[in-house]
Amino acid sequence: MGALVSVQSRPPASAEDRERFEELVGEHLDGLFGAALRMTRNRTRAEDLLQETFLRAWRSFHTFKLGTNVRAWLYRILMNAYIDGYRKSEREPEIVDQEDVDEFYLYSKVHESDDFRRAGNPEEVLLDSLMDADVKGALDGLPEAFRNVVVLADIEGFSYKEIAEILGIPIGTVMSRLHRGRRQLQVKLWDYARRAHYVRSDATSPHAAEGGR
Amino acid sequence: MIEFDCEQVLDQVWTYLDGEMTEVEYLEIRAHVSECEGCGGKYEFQRRLLSLIEAKCREGVHMPGELKQRLFRLLEE
Repeated sequence: MGALVSVQSRPPASAEDRERFEELVGEHLDGLFGAALRMTRNRTRAEDLLQETFLRAWRSFHTFKLGTNVRAWLYRILMNAYIDGYRKSEREPEIVDQEDVDEFYLYSKVHESDDFRRAGNPEEVLLDSLMDADVKGALDGLPEAFRNVVVLADIEGFSYKEIAEILGIPIGTVMSRLHRGRRQLQVKLWDYARRAHYVRSDATSPHAAEGGR
Repeated sequence: MIEFDCEQVLDQVWTYLDGEMTEVEYLEIRAHVSECEGCGGKYEFQRRLLSLIEAKCREGVHMPGELKQRLFRLLEE
């Protein structure tokens, strides 16, 4: 690696800068857009957020040090843009921690359930019964502080340290939010799975006569 | 050599699956999980749960080409 170029004052943007920026940022746009969609839960707002992120990144491109983590830098800008412009209009679900929920909530529930146990391979049946919309719905229903950390870790694949940098919070906070977020996610997934399963096995349901799946 | 009991192993399921531990701890837990049926089943389930979340939520997200073009045009202004 060559020496890092540190630019003190902002030089006028050249065609070469633009090209470098486009090359650096271009490959991350799909990922950023996906994250923006998950955060705003709305396509138009996601596009606006992405545009704001893109412009902020361009304006501060002269402070970006080559050789450092582009992706984490971009997600940090995305998170800040989101916090500045979009979060105010959202109503936050209340953060409630259930005492009796542990890391293996879903696993325990499915093994305790007679309905699922009857199916032979309860874990398989449970995981197969969860639809895209269920998982997305469960994620969307998380309190924002948890949702952002879960999105960055489980969907975007960032490390705890990167998430701490992106969100500007200590690693310990990343871990506690991620673990609590995953616990709450399991509670919501269990609700979806149980409902789906009851529909199929309920004798009074019109679908039961068709034999279900 | 560290020896973890089941409770300690189960406590570390997320840091293990996230790859957020030292190699010594990782190897120790991996050995425990491969021999202990109870912990093994739970670890495997959590691993599948995390990949399910990733697969279901990643799907179908493509940035419209028109949006990409619009963004890059902004730089020329």
